[in-house]
Amino acid sequence: MYRKFVNARSPMRLLENGLHGGLGIGNVGALIAGHGVGKTPFLVGVGIDELLRGGTVLHVAVDQTVGHVRDFYDTVFAALVASTHLDDPLLTQSELDHHRRIRVYPAREFSAQRLAEAVELETQTGARPSLILIDGLEAASLDVKTLEEIRALSGQLAAETWFTIQADSERIEGLPSDWAGLAETLNVILALEPAGDVVHFRALKDHDNPDVQSLRLGLDPHTLLLIRS
Amino acid sequence: MQEQDISKLRNIGISAHIDSGKTTLTERILYYTGRIHAIHEVRGKDEVGATMDSMELERERGITIASAATHCVWGDNHINIIDTPGHVDFTIEVERALRVLDGAVLILCGVAGVQSQSMTVDRQMKRYRVPRIAFINKLDRSGADPVKVSTQLREKLGHNAVMMQLPIGLEAEHEGIVDLVTMKAIYFEGESGDDPVEREIPADMQDAAATARETMLDAVSMFSDELMEAILEEKVTEDMIHEAIRAGTLSMDLTPVFLGSAYKNKGVQPLLDAVTRYLPAPTDVKNMAVDLDNDEAELEVVSEPDKPMVSLAFKLEDTRYGQLTYLRVYQGTIGKGDTIFNSRTKKKVKVGRLIRMHADEMEDIERSTVGDIVALFGVDCASGDTFTDGKMEVAMTSMHVPEAVISLSITPKDQKAADNMGKALGRFVREDPTFRSAVDPESNETVISGMGELHLEVYVERMKREYNCEVETGQPQVAYRETVTRKVDFNYTHKKQSGGSGQYGRVAGFVEPIEESDEGSKDFQFISEIRGGSIPTEYIPAVEKGFRECLPKGRLIGFPVQGLKITINDGQSHSVDSSEMAFSAAARGAFRKFYPEAKPQILEPIMKLEVEGPSEFQGSILKTIMQRRGQVIGSTEEDGFSRVESEVPLSEMFGYATDLRSMTQGKAEFSMEFSKYLPAPAEVQKELKEKYKSKIPDEEE
Repeated sequence: MYRKFVNARSPMRLLENGLHGGLGIGNVGALIAGHGVGKTPFLVGVGIDELLRGGTVLHVAVDQTVGHVRDFYDTVFAALVASTHLDDPLLTQSELDHHRRIRVYPAREFSAQRLAEAVELETQTGARPSLILIDGLEAASLDVKTLEEIRALSGQLAAETWFTIQADSERIEGLPSDWAGLAETLNVILALEPAGDVVHFRALKDHDNPDVQSLRLGLDPHTLLLIRS
Repeated sequence: MQEQDISKLRNIGISAHIDSGKTTLTERILYYTGRIHAIHEVRGKDEVGATMDSMELERERGITIASAATHCVWGDNHINIIDTPGHVDFTIEVERALRVLDGAVLILCGVAGVQSQSMTVDRQMKRYRVPRIAFINKLDRSGADPVKVSTQLREKLGHNAVMMQLPIGLEAEHEGIVDLVTMKAIYFEGESGDDPVEREIPADMQDAAATARETMLDAVSMFSDELMEAILEEKVTEDMIHEAIRAGTLSMDLTPVFLGSAYKNKGVQPLLDAVTRYLPAPTDVKNMAVDLDNDEAELEVVSEPDKPMVSLAFKLEDTRYGQLTYLRVYQGTIGKGDTIFNSRTKKKVKVGRLIRMHADEMEDIERSTVGDIVALFGVDCASGDTFTDGKMEVAMTSMHVPEAVISLSITPKDQKAADNMGKALGRFVREDPTFRSAVDPESNETVISGMGELHLEVYVERMKREYNCEVETGQPQVAYRETVTRKVDFNYTHKKQSGGSGQYGRVAGFVEPIEESDEGSKDFQFISEIRGGSIPTEYIPAVEKGFRECLPKGRLIGFPVQGLKITINDGQSHSVDSSEMAFSAAARGAFRKFYPEAKPQILEPIMKLEVEGPSEFQGSILKTIMQRRGQVIGSTEEDGFSRVESEVPLSEMFGYATDLRSMTQGKAEFSMEFSKYLPAPAEVQKELKEKYKSKIPDEEE
């Protein structure tokens, strides 16, 4: 299958429909889930979708290694190839890798300023991001001001930014208490919860829309791929 | 020391910038531990000699402090000082040397402080998780400032550096040190500072010492709840402090800092106490091997003398009595007369002599146990080989030796060099399995191959330095490969039946690329689906042989062909004229015919490149990668340093060390290893093909 068809049929389109057009340029979205439920696979899925569309992804990981993040991309891509029979997977993967940059920081060193510097460097070397993914941040390292700065950066780049939030338990009631002050500043908040064999997405906040829709989107815990549910 | 208490053994390295006084400190250690009986001064007095100078000096004096491991005794502790490589090139040798260390002393110059090379060496130690203590040397020198250097340790190297001592006087007034644990002043009396004498802290330093002790206790108590409580209750004992420092050092969360001047014989004995108190014993370190019975799965070897013996040959040395092999015993016990097994060659070896190396002598010993470092005489092995007693099929390093990706022709400059070249190459090949040497049958030149330009440069330099063998080198040659990209049918008849005994053979089938998902060899697969004897069974091996003969030299640019699956499913023979020779020729003919139709392409070696340097140079580092058709995978930023991981074609990496140095003021380092083969871009393929055609104008048979 050609990559544009793979992209067109991606379950990510369901997410966009469910969110009234998706996260949107210049906006910041967050995914909340318990430990080990699938936050990183979600980000990687969103990243691969953007890469298949010809975008450029900056994946920021806190307290991880570059190799670990790359392995996630390789695993999810291999599962995608197996499930879609994507044409010329080696060439496609090489093209995707060219447009993806991974940056790793210790938690104590991450800040909006560091992110802006990283974006500047990537832009200078031909990898201006159209999507920023931030994985593994702790509440302590993020306040409203930092979030506003990240959103401003997304706006300047005409990019979307997703990051993950670790919940205390698998069942998500809302933002964890130490993140609660940030809800207003986030454009979209999704929850990811296990239910039987699949992991389901649920929107907690969808821009300013009062009617939060069902997303009909899940994550296959075996292949780590986003699926229709 | 034969069956000594393992907890009292230390295997340490002394790592330093070349000007920091490593030679002087090592010599003082050997003197105070009774291994040598007089102190010699390093030539030039100012100690600013190059490493080479000091090594030559060592040879002149006939001591072997540059040998792979030197053993000495301090109190009831045994210390093996292992030579830590001064160069930081990415070679297997460096990895091995760091691997056998359990801990290290990081020497810093009290004047110059943390220099770029200290950073490089320190980061390498960090990568291999080697706990360190620091020694700020040269406090007798003008401009010495240990507080500044300790701060640099924190700021530039990211260490949690905590001063354990204060200097009594600096520069010409440097007299001794104040120990913040015992709260005593220590002076080094006697002709060569042989007698450390404890006295009361000078009155004018009492306040400073009390404040410094408080700071030290604050930092150290983070590693011991007991100490923290004792501080509150004002019941601190020296043992509690030592235990807390040791815990912090072992977890690499604390770097205790010691002071002195090795040249002026000050501070060395307390440093030796610190080595034995705070650095790990072999039992404190977790060592992993690979299980050869289980697809090289990781397996822990435990520091127990009664377990099956496992040891690693980490260094070879040529002596006038033959090859000396340095071993670190990781598990079990080894004894003179034992029969041991080389995991790589599967050969049995008898331990004829077991030796412990001292500064200027060798000691024959009967047995050696876990954690210890010993040497064997006359054992034929390569560096990196694992020896066991045959009860465990393990190796301390992976048995997988990567293919060489670069080669270089070398020609000796004169007859003397020619005589020594063979000896040098023989040794290097034994030392380093990734280094190869061969004679090119076409040009009759000696060609050395290895894992990168720098890798080969190191050996060319060593030939000159160690064997007095100067060689001229040719242009580095990248090891390209060729492969096919599409499935093609073939049907070829080899027929020569014009009088005399004839030749006849027909082979038919198809060739296709080996896919990632295919099981079996990724280089070449041959499948026979011949039914009904269209090719008689006895000729099928000859067909395979004919195809294999075509693989070493592809028809695009003359490099080996890989990734090819050939299936034969039909053919024909002649009752009289068919022979093995005829079918081999038929296979070669078929190959010649199908190869251009199967869309062959050139594969180039891609290297995994890691560049590390201060964050302010990250932009420059990224540019050096982008300029070389490199693909950036990601960057890690920590403590003011950035490590950029990327994949770059080897053909673009020539001269990289020089470029990187100039782009980063020499502050960045890189390591490179082979990653994979990938198709070269079309323009590169075109250029390579044209170059090959210009060398060989006529198509060969």
